[in-house]
Amino acid sequence: MEFAASDREWKKGSAELLILSLVEARPRHGYEISKLIEQKSEGKLSFHVASLYPLLYRLEKRGWLRGRWVEKAGQRRRRYYRLTRKGRRVLASQQQGWQQFVEAVSRITGDVAEAENA
Amino acid sequence: MPDWKQEILRRLAPLKLAAAREAEIAEEIAQHLEDRYGELLNSGKAEAQARELVLAELSESDLLARNLRPLEKPMPQATAPMGGGSREFWGGLVQDIRYGLRMLGKSPGFAAVAILTLALGIGANTAIFSLIDGVMLRTMPVKDANNLVIFQWKAHKGFLDGEYSSFNDCGEAGIGTTGCSFPLPIISKMHALNVFSSLIACAGPAELALSGNGPASIVNGEIVSADYFSTLGVNAVIGRTLGASDESYSATPAVVLSYAYWQSAFGGSRSVLGRTISLNNVPFTIVGVAEPSFTNLSPGKRQDLWLTIAMVPRLQISWGSRIGSMENWWLLMMARLKPGVSLERAQTAATVTFRNEVLNGTKPYAKATADPQVVLTRVEDVLVGRRGTLSMLLKLLSAAVGIILLIACATVAGLLLSRGATRQKEVAVRLTLGASRGTILRQLLTESVMLSFLGGILGIAFAYWGVHAITALIAEGSSQPFPYVIAPDWRVLAFTLAICVLTGLVFGLAPAFRSTRVDLTPALKENASTLPSIGTRAGRFRLGSALVVAQVALSVVVLIGAGLLVRTLQNLRDISPGFDTRNILLFEIDPGQLHYEEPQLVNLFTELRERLSALPGVLSASYSSDALLSGGRWSETVHVEGQPAGPGIQMNIFAAGPGFFENMRIPVVEGRMFSATDFEQAQQIEPAVANPRATGEGAANVVPNASVNVLVNQAFVRRYFPVQNPLGKRIVEGGGTSGAEGGAWGTDAQSNHWQIIGVVKDTKYDTLRNEIRPVVYLPFTTSYGGYFELRTAGDPHTLISAVRDAATKIDDRLPLQNVTTQTEQIGDLMSQERLIAKVSGFFGVLALVLACIGLYGLLAYEVSRRTREIGIRMALGAQRRNVLRLVVGQGIALAIVGAAVGIGVALGVTRYLASLLYGVQADDPATMVGVAILLVLVALAACYIPARRATRVDPIVALRYE
Repeated sequence: MEFAASDREWKKGSAELLILSLVEARPRHGYEISKLIEQKSEGKLSFHVASLYPLLYRLEKRGWLRGRWVEKAGQRRRRYYRLTRKGRRVLASQQQGWQQFVEAVSRITGDVAEAENA
Repeated sequence: MPDWKQEILRRLAPLKLAAAREAEIAEEIAQHLEDRYGELLNSGKAEAQARELVLAELSESDLLARNLRPLEKPMPQATAPMGGGSREFWGGLVQDIRYGLRMLGKSPGFAAVAILTLALGIGANTAIFSLIDGVMLRTMPVKDANNLVIFQWKAHKGFLDGEYSSFNDCGEAGIGTTGCSFPLPIISKMHALNVFSSLIACAGPAELALSGNGPASIVNGEIVSADYFSTLGVNAVIGRTLGASDESYSATPAVVLSYAYWQSAFGGSRSVLGRTISLNNVPFTIVGVAEPSFTNLSPGKRQDLWLTIAMVPRLQISWGSRIGSMENWWLLMMARLKPGVSLERAQTAATVTFRNEVLNGTKPYAKATADPQVVLTRVEDVLVGRRGTLSMLLKLLSAAVGIILLIACATVAGLLLSRGATRQKEVAVRLTLGASRGTILRQLLTESVMLSFLGGILGIAFAYWGVHAITALIAEGSSQPFPYVIAPDWRVLAFTLAICVLTGLVFGLAPAFRSTRVDLTPALKENASTLPSIGTRAGRFRLGSALVVAQVALSVVVLIGAGLLVRTLQNLRDISPGFDTRNILLFEIDPGQLHYEEPQLVNLFTELRERLSALPGVLSASYSSDALLSGGRWSETVHVEGQPAGPGIQMNIFAAGPGFFENMRIPVVEGRMFSATDFEQAQQIEPAVANPRATGEGAANVVPNASVNVLVNQAFVRRYFPVQNPLGKRIVEGGGTSGAEGGAWGTDAQSNHWQIIGVVKDTKYDTLRNEIRPVVYLPFTTSYGGYFELRTAGDPHTLISAVRDAATKIDDRLPLQNVTTQTEQIGDLMSQERLIAKVSGFFGVLALVLACIGLYGLLAYEVSRRTREIGIRMALGAQRRNVLRLVVGQGIALAIVGAAVGIGVALGVTRYLASLLYGVQADDPATMVGVAILLVLVALAACYIPARRATRVDPIVALRYE
């Protein structure tokens, strides 16, 4: 299944979770985040620049992420996003919520599949 | 590589983001696109294809903007030039303020000194303006004061021949040719005119003896017409106000209490309604209490209660005995115009009636050549009340605080200038990056206005404290509390606001202009703290020096003024009044208010003196017509034997009772003291002589050809009998031309004859300031009123209640008035001088402190600027003391120039103080030199700290800047 650009609502809720999860371990910059999403989903998920950055800014505005310009020797500066304490709490609850949602959905879809198979 | 930023910026444009934010977003996303582009090329894509794919990331052209819109606030351009649209301007202002706050936070020391300096300057001005506002600008506490007009008359000199009393409502100017008081009959005629919707009259306050509510006391009663309250729109807080029913001569006497008096004398009890009190021995019923906001019509006058004009004849007030007469001008008249009637029409109608009454009445009052007129004016412009006595003080204080503010501005301007030097590089960078001069100017001015606002906020706190201190000082010198309400209102806040903005611009403008005149290349190249671009630096120091000179000069002016006033107070304190002022209790009685008659009066004084003398702790007691150094004096026209005939001499008179001179310790230097016989004789001959307040009846008792024995002072002898023996010489009282002519001495039965029997030592009479003038001392005979003097063994205050008891035992209706000690009374005389000296001294010190901060700031800046130079000097062998001399010398030179300029200015302006000075000239060299020396010494201290720092410069460190 592919997420089409029109499934915006779908994407929005999950996209937040994806980004928060990706910066959980360490701060990452926007391009890195988009590459990771693409790689880890094996090309199934991708963000366009036009939606990724507004989303990052929104998360930053909510205080879940904290962006910081970091300049490393010999490189141009990049903006790295780090998970805040608040963001960490949100991520924990979203992960849990998502887990329950997925289980619920798979229970239903599993039931349906079983019934059809029967 | 394609220009990604351009692509992104094009898509962001509709959002109108703040430039900085826009750039940040563009940078971040462009990087992303660049990375992607690089990746695509690496994976073997052609450039054109890669570009297309990357741009597809931005997807539809408005998607980025659409996604960002809910997140990003549109912001005006950060570096909007002036006049670039109001939204941009305000946005820029907000940014300027933020930036300014950050800059201030970076140099907290500078900010603290600048804000404190400004707070002192602004606070002093706010405090004085609050006083001016409370005393001079408050509107009257009546309904629609703008529509209330007051009647004034105008005429040529010599018009007024009757008894005129003004109660100081309209000030003192132009007495005789203009006035606010009218006789009752004219008021009745004005009532009949159909141009006024209502017309009221009032006079007072009269001092009335109140009994029936604890110990007898004196209250201020305002005498008003019945519709006074309804016309002014003043209501009763309990009970009722006065009305038509109280106006007839046969009405039951009624009074309305002022709210403050109700609170203080009756504890705000509602049971006062219907209660009877006695005023001058006449029972009055309390019918109501006026609302709290209505204190008085004339600012600063205290009124305890109101009663109607019809009650005056019963009260036996000396000036009110002929209230219905055309000869007695005593009532203020105010009116509201009928709707549609112009002021001119009303004025014309009133003038016609007025002229008709005074020129063609039953008894013509004046000749038509006097051209009497009536002028109607807004009440508030005319009723000045006690404002006059405070206005001189307030003018003086305004001048002082105005100068203080200028000094504060100069000080802060100096500080900003020094700071401008350290910010030169910052300004240069901003100019290079394309900021306009206007933008930077605005930024710098915003910072200075911000400083002055912060100073203003702190200043309001200072002002609050200052107002309390000053009103407490004013009240300290008088027996009454400060009679004005001083509370910040919109006028005070507006004033402070205006002064903040103005101050910020004044002290910020010159340094700001200076800062933006930067030569970019050297400023960018050099470390701002080491190498000067010579021209600018020299100019900066010149401007700084000029500011310091101005500060020093202004503070010298304030200090010299203060010095002169302090010396005046000192001189007044050093005056010997000529009698022993220690441990004397003074009080006044006015038995005339209680309708005492002649024989009773003699007994009252004698008996009271006997009782008082017998009190434990009282050494001796006496009485007299006046108290010495009370501020008042009695004078009569007399002819002195041997002096050329003429209209007579205005002679100071003082009636002394038995034992007065012994009690006051005034020695006789020639002849003898009064004997008991002298008093008896005087009493027998002419009670009216020693009784300026008695009316004609006593004249019937005159015994012809007898004379009263009197004493004179040394000044009298020096003036009139410098070589002859004054004893036995005669004086004739009266303004006629009778006198030495034709040897008529002692034969004119119509005049009072006095014969000198002794000479007493000179004493001050009415005030300390006035030089001692000739005085004739009469033996005290019964007078409608008099002062008692008690010489006590210890603190006179401890005897007050015993003295009150003694008086009550004789007559419990008799109030003791003006109970005080001689020392306090002398203190009261000097209260104005003391107040002025204290306040101006305070401001003098403030000015000095501010000037020192300025001097210190400039030198500290100089030292930091010249660190390298000092280092080189020291490396080349200069000693510490040479360096010390270099820095201190520079500061002292400025202080001396400033002091010289200040003395020059002071010579020009201190003459305006001349009327306040005593025993010191307005151009007193000692004060000027003293102030100059003080200032240079203090300047020395201010220079020392930066100079010490200069001597600690390590040549090695200083040279490392190279």
